[in-house]
Amino acid sequence: MASVQYDAATRLYPGTSQPAVNELSLTIADGEMLVLVGPSGSGKSTALRMLAGLEPLDAGRILIADRDVSAVRPRDRDIAMVFQNYALYPQLDVAANMGFALKQQGVPKEERMQRVRDVAKLLDLEPYLDRKPRNLSGGQRQRVAMGRAIVRRPQVYLMDEPLSNLDAKLRVQTRTELVELQSRLAVTTVYVTHDQVEAMTMGDRVAVLREGILQQCDTPSALYHTPANRFVAGFIGSPAMNQLHASATGPLLIGGADAGISDDLGGERAMIGFRPEAVVIGTGPIAARIRVIEDLGSEAFVHLVIQHEGEDHRLVAKAAAPFAGAVGDNVQIGLRGEVHLFDASDARRATITV
Amino acid sequence: MSGQERGTTLGVGERRIGRISLGLLAWIVGLVWIFPVGWTVFTSFKTEQDATAQTLTQGLSFDRYREVSSSTEGTLSLATALSNSLFVVLVSTAIVMLLAIPAAYALAIRRVPKWRDLLFFFISTKFLPVVASIFPIYVYAEKWDLIGTRTILVVLYTAMNLPLAVWMIRSFFMEVPRELIEAAEIDGTKLINQLRSVIVPISAPGIAATALLCVIFAWNEYFYAIQLNFANGSTMPQWVIGNVDTRGNFLAKLSAASVIACLPVVLAGWIAQKRMIRGLSMGAIK
Amino acid sequence: MTAADATRKGKVGDPFSSPWRRRLPLLPALIFTILITQLPFLVSIYYSLTDLKDKTQSLIPQPTRFVGLENYRTLLSNSFFRDAMWTSVKMTVLSVLLSLIFGTAFALLLDRKFLGQGLVRTLLITPFLVMPVVAALIWKQQMFSSLFGLLNKALEFFGLDSVQFISDHPLASIVTVLVWQWTPFMMLIMLAGLQSQPADILEAANVDGARPFGIFRQLTIPHLRRYLELGALLGSIYIIQAFDAIDVMTGGAPGSKNVPYFVYQESIGGGFRYGSASAYAIVVVIASIIIATFALRVLSGLLKDEERA
Repeated sequence: MASVQYDAATRLYPGTSQPAVNELSLTIADGEMLVLVGPSGSGKSTALRMLAGLEPLDAGRILIADRDVSAVRPRDRDIAMVFQNYALYPQLDVAANMGFALKQQGVPKEERMQRVRDVAKLLDLEPYLDRKPRNLSGGQRQRVAMGRAIVRRPQVYLMDEPLSNLDAKLRVQTRTELVELQSRLAVTTVYVTHDQVEAMTMGDRVAVLREGILQQCDTPSALYHTPANRFVAGFIGSPAMNQLHASATGPLLIGGADAGISDDLGGERAMIGFRPEAVVIGTGPIAARIRVIEDLGSEAFVHLVIQHEGEDHRLVAKAAAPFAGAVGDNVQIGLRGEVHLFDASDARRATITV
Repeated sequence: MSGQERGTTLGVGERRIGRISLGLLAWIVGLVWIFPVGWTVFTSFKTEQDATAQTLTQGLSFDRYREVSSSTEGTLSLATALSNSLFVVLVSTAIVMLLAIPAAYALAIRRVPKWRDLLFFFISTKFLPVVASIFPIYVYAEKWDLIGTRTILVVLYTAMNLPLAVWMIRSFFMEVPRELIEAAEIDGTKLINQLRSVIVPISAPGIAATALLCVIFAWNEYFYAIQLNFANGSTMPQWVIGNVDTRGNFLAKLSAASVIACLPVVLAGWIAQKRMIRGLSMGAIK
Repeated sequence: MTAADATRKGKVGDPFSSPWRRRLPLLPALIFTILITQLPFLVSIYYSLTDLKDKTQSLIPQPTRFVGLENYRTLLSNSFFRDAMWTSVKMTVLSVLLSLIFGTAFALLLDRKFLGQGLVRTLLITPFLVMPVVAALIWKQQMFSSLFGLLNKALEFFGLDSVQFISDHPLASIVTVLVWQWTPFMMLIMLAGLQSQPADILEAANVDGARPFGIFRQLTIPHLRRYLELGALLGSIYIIQAFDAIDVMTGGAPGSKNVPYFVYQESIGGGFRYGSASAYAIVVVIASIIIATFALRVLSGLLKDEERA
């Protein structure tokens, strides 16, 4: 069993007043791929490094396979890590890089070479085994970094934004390969990224962090459809959720028109949110004007502006492509689908299907 | 990536006792290594009797310093030696900077053809032993009435430090981000202003480190100072030697003289050491 | 992208600089160096072909004659000169090696933060800042002296015989002073090297299970190689010309007379045989050029690494 648990783990850098990671509590099941996601400064990398033992804990505990490793050195934790910049040993060739940890453990040469060769085959690195890192492309280096972790057969894999330095197309391709690989190897993996698309496509569960505090840890679907608060609602999903201020009581008015929602949460309603796919262009009570049309071929995102509570507000709607409309057109829009209601503390209180 | 400096906090699993014993060892090493200097400073406050016997029976005072700073007729006085040294060191270092900075520009930023060979040439001049050229230099210095002047030392120290300065400043210039220089070019900035407003301010720590090294080497230089000067018109190294008695009877006085002679450069080095390390790690290697 | 990349492009057809305009900033330094360092060299060549001597030394003044390669012929058979060359080699190699070893060790000690780290570092660099003649005097009078030196007093204290350090072990004494002074310099360079190691590679090795000594041997030393080479190069340039310590401590006693001191004694240091001294000087220069070419191959290796980085 190689589960991982964060138990109120806290890291406060000396000289700062806000903890970088603030009482993080998470349980990761054996074999699960958990993604830590959040904007920069959210503490996700710090949390990963705490698990690795590269950052000390100021409070709380970290457990690997039910063993408290909070004071254990990195090399004794039986973990493997893929660094953002790969951290390949520059003067060793690919084979030596991948076999480095095994050599440190005293694994006999025969077995070492065999394991390296097996992993090289798995990752298509066989032709490069005797090359030095400086003679490899970015994608190849990334695979060597992965190979170095896989060869170790650790209890947990840690990955710190391993795909950030790849170009866009390679990134998408490698993403799916990685997911396949992880489920095949069935080893617990903690994966850090700032890219919410990556998080949504890769994780069994995703933990959203903001300024050191865990916002929500759930399956991608749950995060998308039942975000815990406004931050998660706005962070997950692209284009971002439309958010509007809503009157606390009475029927909901958007752009002066009745949107057909009467739930006011007992007077606690403060904001509403709805995703682009919940906006219908053509019919509806709300008057809007088209600003920008993004036609992606498979679908279109239409950027609108409405007059809401006396000010201009921008909305994004998803429509079928090709989109029959032009910039500057005045159209009527309506809501159909999930509408989320948030209270004054930004927590999501209810979701209404219109 | 963590925002901590390398090696500042205790690593996970690292025991405090390990760090403390490391610190202790470092302290012991440091104190042992500095011991000769420390003992000399201590001796400079003793009486001659105490100094030669290595005891402390007659108390400590500043008397040796007073003796050493008073001037006797016909011998080099502290005041003269000090003013000579200051002049020669500061002027030669200034000239070195004036020559080396443009040269480094031509070897780092807008490189001349065959810059590698030229860099090699500069450094190769340091391989020529000083003793090899001292005689011709002496002959011509005598011919042109330059013996015993500050001018000849300024010239020679400049030549002595120039290769090092060119090499170090060149590598600091290599660190300047290209975009800044290109932006200045597009704005039509002339070379002198590029240097003044962009390149030099960015490389300032490295240039300061280089200047400090030049000052150290020029201040401490002994051979040219002795050979090209008369007994009563020279720099600090010669002044110190003047306090040596072959029977060593002036051990305390000599210690005081040594302390005075070394103090300026030692203080400068202490104050600038962080900059020197940053300079060395920034550029001299890269 | 740094300035280093800038000049790879834009040389041909670059509207801003013809080769001669680029050379302009370099010229003052170049001309100055050539004048001050190369001219005396040429003059020395001329003198080396004569039998120039200080006229006041002989009873019967003789005019200076042109003797061609006579000086060179006798030079190579001069056993004192060969001794001096051998001493130079021993002195330089020993001093550079020892100060590199000590310097690296001290840098490793100072790499981690501890109480008073800055202060210890300040103490350790001081010997480098001290005037070489003063350093030599301190060691000669305070430490090594057979009359009142501390080392001998310590030996006395333990009931051992006193040692005539300087008279009996001239080379070791000189090397001691040189190492004492140059270790801080090497330490600074190695500190710079240690601190320039990318942190994530060390972290990766940590996570991979390497122990501290293994990390040092397999990762740190290869990284430090460039710094070791630089330290050795710079140190050799200065140590090979060591003069002050010899003049002050041993006065050129056999075993401690390196080539610079030998040539010095041959010319204005007592021999006043300027013709033959110049010949020695020229031979030394040629040897220096050979060594320099070899050393510069090391340098160009450093420069090439720079380009690639």
